[in-house]
Amino acid sequence: MEADRLSVTFAALADPTRRAILARLAHGEATVNELAAPFDMSLPGISKHLKVLHRAGLIEQGRQAQWRPCRLQPKPLRGVADWVGQYRRHWEESFERLDSYLRELQDSKEQINGDDDGTDANRPR
Amino acid sequence: METTMAPTRIDRGSTDTTTIYSEGGDLVFERTFDAPRERVWEAMTDPELVPRWWGQHGTTTTVVEMDVRPGGTWRYVSSAPDREDVAFFGEYLEVTPPTGFKWTFMFDVDGAGPQGGPETFILEEVGGRTKVTSIGHMGSPEILEGALATGMVGGAIETWDRLEALLAEG
Repeated sequence: MEADRLSVTFAALADPTRRAILARLAHGEATVNELAAPFDMSLPGISKHLKVLHRAGLIEQGRQAQWRPCRLQPKPLRGVADWVGQYRRHWEESFERLDSYLRELQDSKEQINGDDDGTDANRPR
Repeated sequence: METTMAPTRIDRGSTDTTTIYSEGGDLVFERTFDAPRERVWEAMTDPELVPRWWGQHGTTTTVVEMDVRPGGTWRYVSSAPDREDVAFFGEYLEVTPPTGFKWTFMFDVDGAGPQGGPETFILEEVGGRTKVTSIGHMGSPEILEGALATGMVGGAIETWDRLEALLAEG
């Protein structure tokens, strides 16, 4: 179950409306009405998105019945961002290092070959 | 499969040296190295050589285990001064020297257990040089898209970081 948390977060993020909601909440808490305003969408439609975000632990909602502001919970995002960021940076930088390592090898090989030639040249034939 | 449409190739922030794109649920890196293919193969599969290049800048890699044959397992530990050690691990699924291999690439994510998936490496000779293609099979395009949205597009990671810091201020 635990291993699937990230999948739930990914699925929640795989929708542009939900990402826009999160971006809005990054500026501070907001009511469902306020969140719905920028979208051409019914309140039930927005509520559905909020439910998905809530299930993924990405938002929490206040307790009061009337005024239930939504708030961002950044912790699951951290996990996802870390994962992809690590992955991408890992290969980008590994490839860079591989490149310079191979170049180093090439250089030292040329040097060794050069020395061999020198030795051969000094050897009486 | 549900769809017969070819997956769209979308650039994901290629650099001068590295082409990065997504295609369906795959995340692909391409880079051409100025070295013969055998040498690149060696660098990628010799436990003595892996620590010379593997990992992010400022990190040190220790090869704990590396059994380069189908069914063999591997485990690297990456160390850095500013964080705890991170273990990467998996299993070799296919090994075809010197043209490529496929393994699983896993690591633990805080509170989420082991994450990752299969990854394919293809080594091609291109006029004396070697083109390496790594394909991370992330799962579905939706998962990839969600992941890209947080970390890959336009320095979004930093945005989230800043966002988190902002929220931490209360």
